[in-house]
Amino acid sequence: MKTTILHVDINSYFATILQQENPHLRHKPVGVIKDEGRTCLIATSKEAKQLGIGTGSNVYEAREIFPEIILIPASFDRYLDATKKLKKIFESISPDVYIYSLDEAFINISHCQKFIYPQAEQLGQQIQQKIKQELGSWVTANVGIGNNRLLAKIASEIAAKGSVLEINQDNLDGILASIEFKDVCGVGYQLTKKLQRLNVTHPYQLRFFTAEELGVLVGPFWANELLKIAYGQEPHLLTLLEKPSSHMKSIGRSITGFRLYDREDEIKSILFNLCSEVIDKTRKMKLAGRQITINLYGQNQAFHDHITLKYFIEHLDEMFIWVKKLYQHWNKDFKIIKFAIRLSLLEPNDQKPLLPSWHKQEKIQTALDKINAKYGLFTLHPASIMKQHLIRPEVTGFLGDRDYQLGN
Amino acid sequence: MYQKIDQKIWVAGVYKNSSFQPTKFKWQDRELKITEVTLHSDFKDGQVKKRCYSVISGQEVYRLEFNRENETWYLREIWVD
Repeated sequence: MKTTILHVDINSYFATILQQENPHLRHKPVGVIKDEGRTCLIATSKEAKQLGIGTGSNVYEAREIFPEIILIPASFDRYLDATKKLKKIFESISPDVYIYSLDEAFINISHCQKFIYPQAEQLGQQIQQKIKQELGSWVTANVGIGNNRLLAKIASEIAAKGSVLEINQDNLDGILASIEFKDVCGVGYQLTKKLQRLNVTHPYQLRFFTAEELGVLVGPFWANELLKIAYGQEPHLLTLLEKPSSHMKSIGRSITGFRLYDREDEIKSILFNLCSEVIDKTRKMKLAGRQITINLYGQNQAFHDHITLKYFIEHLDEMFIWVKKLYQHWNKDFKIIKFAIRLSLLEPNDQKPLLPSWHKQEKIQTALDKINAKYGLFTLHPASIMKQHLIRPEVTGFLGDRDYQLGN
Repeated sequence: MYQKIDQKIWVAGVYKNSSFQPTKFKWQDRELKITEVTLHSDFKDGQVKKRCYSVISGQEVYRLEFNRENETWYLREIWVD
């Protein structure tokens, strides 16, 4: 059976959805910020990108290039709903769909191609039409086609905006010799820099090296991965998508503050707020975890610590006690701009302890869950997070919590 | 930028292909005809299901919200250049 994978990538997703919603924004450079007052552009429209204003630019850089750039706060509810609509479209084509991020998906049509979709390129165009019908005429997508996920993704990365491109045996070598590593899934900035030491800037050039030679520079694992990429074969990272795990392994939450923080009550309040969201998600997915991690970032400094417990936790109070203990390990030698916490080593919580104190906590937490499920998260919340602006849940572009958000 | 309004409104519409399509709304004693629904999105606020409609009336863009539990409509935001 011939394997055929389609990779669909919505063009400039966050900005495009806002432009679809509001015709006054179309044909104009638009920068999407996380919230009013933020200065990082988490997405930009295709018109802004044409001017050199890309994702990750800050507002000052953007205004230097184009002073009239329009800044709009992101609308995460709209993005997530649009992704759910896209998922429905893709699942109407094939049962084998993997939502890779909010705006990207792999569709495996290998099992149904022969009789239903003999022309993959035509199917790609049909998908583009369906997306326009469902989300609006302004929304365009690239569709890449290949015999594995790597090639399908490369194809959609390098295709012209709103087009379909197939990588096959005829064009494979030419494409691998012309693309840069930024278009290759899994090869990051650090790896690209290391390869430049060997004067390797295109995947095809990797064929001129042995695994041993590459291993000296990048280690044995990456040497083999890079050689797979050199020949257009799927690297390990992407083969993992074939066997999605039965449940999430960790749940984390981070937030970048509007300013630097050094007051202990404010810092603890923010950490408690983040814990609330992590525990809420963990409990909704009927999981419990036993590794807690805290990360605090200053302007140039960072503090990381974690603890692995012998038992599982699933209550807010328990988690916050451990986060506070980890926080005490920090020397408090810098002001904090970014906070992150994580509950890992998650497993389904089907075994309940017999301790009366645990059951008391469970009763309180269950009551909290019920009220917040009915009226919204943080309707009822501990007094300690009342001191500051509530940090509400949000969906991230890379959709690390896809199981939770999409209910896979 | 979008300007917050958060006021209750009256909405009339039709069912088209099994889904509701707002056609006009009444806000501050003015009846505004909707010429295009540019986007609609469903989301949950707790367990309360809500649906947002982004609509055009005249040259203006409005964000309407329908609370599916108590069946009330709100004008949430207006786009001002």
